[in-house]
Amino acid sequence: MSIVLLGINHRSAPVTIRERLSISCGDEGKTLEELRSIPHVREVMFLATCNRIEVLANMKPAGTAIEELKTFITSRGNLSPEEMTKCLYVYRDEDAIRHLFRVASSLDSMIMGEPQILGQLKDAYRLCVMHKTSGVILNKLLHRAFSVAKRVRTETAIANNAVSVSFAAVKLAKKIFGALDRKKVLLVGAGEMAQLAARHLADNGIDRILFANRTYENAVKLAHDFHGLPIEFDQMESALGDVDIVISSTASPEYVISRGMMEAALCRRKNRLMFLIDLAVPRDIDPGAGDIDTVYLYNIDDLQGVVDDNIQSRLNEARKAEAIIDEEVADFSGWFATLEVVPTIVDLKNKAGDIIREEIVRSHSWMKNLDGEEKENIEILVNAVVNKILHDPVVRLKEESRNGGADSYVAVVKKLFKLE
Amino acid sequence: MEIMFFRIALIAYFVSTAGFIISLFVGRVKVAKISMWIFSLAFVLHTTYIVMRWIGTAFIPSANIYSSLSFVAWVVSGAYLAFQTKTKTRVLGAFVSPTVLVMLITASAGLMGGASLPPALHGPWVSIHVVFLLTGGALFVLACLTGAMYLLQDNLIKKKKVGGISGLLPSLQDLDRINHICIIWGFPLLTFGIIAGSVWARIVWGTSWHWDPKQICTAVSWVIYAVLIHQRLIIGWKGRKAAFLSIIGFAGFLFASLGVNIFFVTIHNF
Repeated sequence: MSIVLLGINHRSAPVTIRERLSISCGDEGKTLEELRSIPHVREVMFLATCNRIEVLANMKPAGTAIEELKTFITSRGNLSPEEMTKCLYVYRDEDAIRHLFRVASSLDSMIMGEPQILGQLKDAYRLCVMHKTSGVILNKLLHRAFSVAKRVRTETAIANNAVSVSFAAVKLAKKIFGALDRKKVLLVGAGEMAQLAARHLADNGIDRILFANRTYENAVKLAHDFHGLPIEFDQMESALGDVDIVISSTASPEYVISRGMMEAALCRRKNRLMFLIDLAVPRDIDPGAGDIDTVYLYNIDDLQGVVDDNIQSRLNEARKAEAIIDEEVADFSGWFATLEVVPTIVDLKNKAGDIIREEIVRSHSWMKNLDGEEKENIEILVNAVVNKILHDPVVRLKEESRNGGADSYVAVVKKLFKLE
Repeated sequence: MEIMFFRIALIAYFVSTAGFIISLFVGRVKVAKISMWIFSLAFVLHTTYIVMRWIGTAFIPSANIYSSLSFVAWVVSGAYLAFQTKTKTRVLGAFVSPTVLVMLITASAGLMGGASLPPALHGPWVSIHVVFLLTGGALFVLACLTGAMYLLQDNLIKKKKVGGISGLLPSLQDLDRINHICIIWGFPLLTFGIIAGSVWARIVWGTSWHWDPKQICTAVSWVIYAVLIHQRLIIGWKGRKAAFLSIIGFAGFLFASLGVNIFFVTIHNF
């Protein structure tokens, strides 16, 4: 019995190859059934995201099954042999378990610590349960992967800090204002990143977003998308006094918001705190505005600096995460290893049981003269003797498998007891 | 008998302080939550002690410096818990808890004996004077603490160094609000406390104003807080300037309460 994981990800294969594979495996249910029908494959799961395509299988350790899985992938993806050797990775047993745990904990993701991969993995698992392509091993493995992911997320800070400029902006807003409900945002211009930041702020409970643009129609369009309010560009200056957060991203070569404007706005706001996010290059907001007491001004470099710091701290947290994963892999591998002796133990006990039954039948001639209770006592005695004899060998087998050296023992037991 | 409550409360404050500090390093919310609960338990025990003492001896729990400290610590704890339910500034506990602990440890030095009050300390005016000033002082302690935290957080955000400690501190707005509320409530208490003291001084010593060092220093700190309130409410000061003045004001108040007795000769001795 062997666990195998093979596939391609954003590091091993460029998007041109990944997309070939994902298109041809589009119907995931059908793909699962086809994978399952490969001989020697006992259980299988299929994971397809924009950054990886992987097959996880439990199979009888036959080398041909791995080859067939490889062929499946390469033929679906139209991969040439060179592409295959370069892009396809194959993991077995402990390495496969480790890779799965790392993927689930988002350590293998493009942005370490991202939360989507766990949901995608759960969806893939749900699908394979629905199509009944998972069994004891994969069920236990996947459930363990989910709890490892949870452990990594709670015990390390890997997912704590923002690693995109828009997220960083939201985190900063919370650092300044605490809860974001009842706060108002002004979006000046229509830059892509600015819209994203506004979107994140809206998701975090912002009360109202105002949109200002030199072209009024653009403001109207954005306001419609965000359920906000458009304002005329010359109204922007007075609007500054009504909002808590300003995001600016225009194409203007000069400052759109001057220090003087900010001072006036603060006067109207009675100095309530303000957060200015300047995403434009060249900058939209006069840097002098950031010197005002209750104004906090971050330009694109500042935000990127925050993101870089966070990425560094995520890398540090990743080390902790790897340690957690090592622990869990060892634990699961230990359990998995004992499994290989289970069939042998079951066969041994079954054979013993069969022998007992046969001999009792054979002794029918003299046993029929005994009364019920005596018959029962003899059966109990015989069972007890056999169990006691088998107890030590069974315990020893389990111990040896936990230590990883059960193969030879299993072979000997099978030979000695003629268990094949 | 009631001293037992005090002792257990002290132990609980110690445990919660340790817990809060650990939670700062470990960064786990669960540890901070548990510390909060232990802190609340300590507060309940502390309250029990104060109430029992009050019932038992029928005098306000501030006859000497030690029981005064205990009372101030009690108000600080209570105010912190009240804020915590509204603004979720659990991290403030890491600053409040050690402060309360230190106050109580100092208080424990002198709480054993059942103090009997000198005759000058009997009477309603004195009770109001002491309780109001101590409660106001406790609120000023919190204002000072949040002011200090605000300055720290503000500095970090302005310098764009927002990893690390900054993540642990509460948001600027929350800190500012707590500071504001403490000053708004603390200042009237301070004012009435001073007035009550003057009325009592007239009754006991004949005149309400003696140019006594303690009175002068208290008046100075009163002026600082008056300026702070005025600037906050009328001019619209917020943030750094207000935080800074809260700290200065508290330094003045602290000196007026304790420092004066060390450095000067004052008739305000009991």
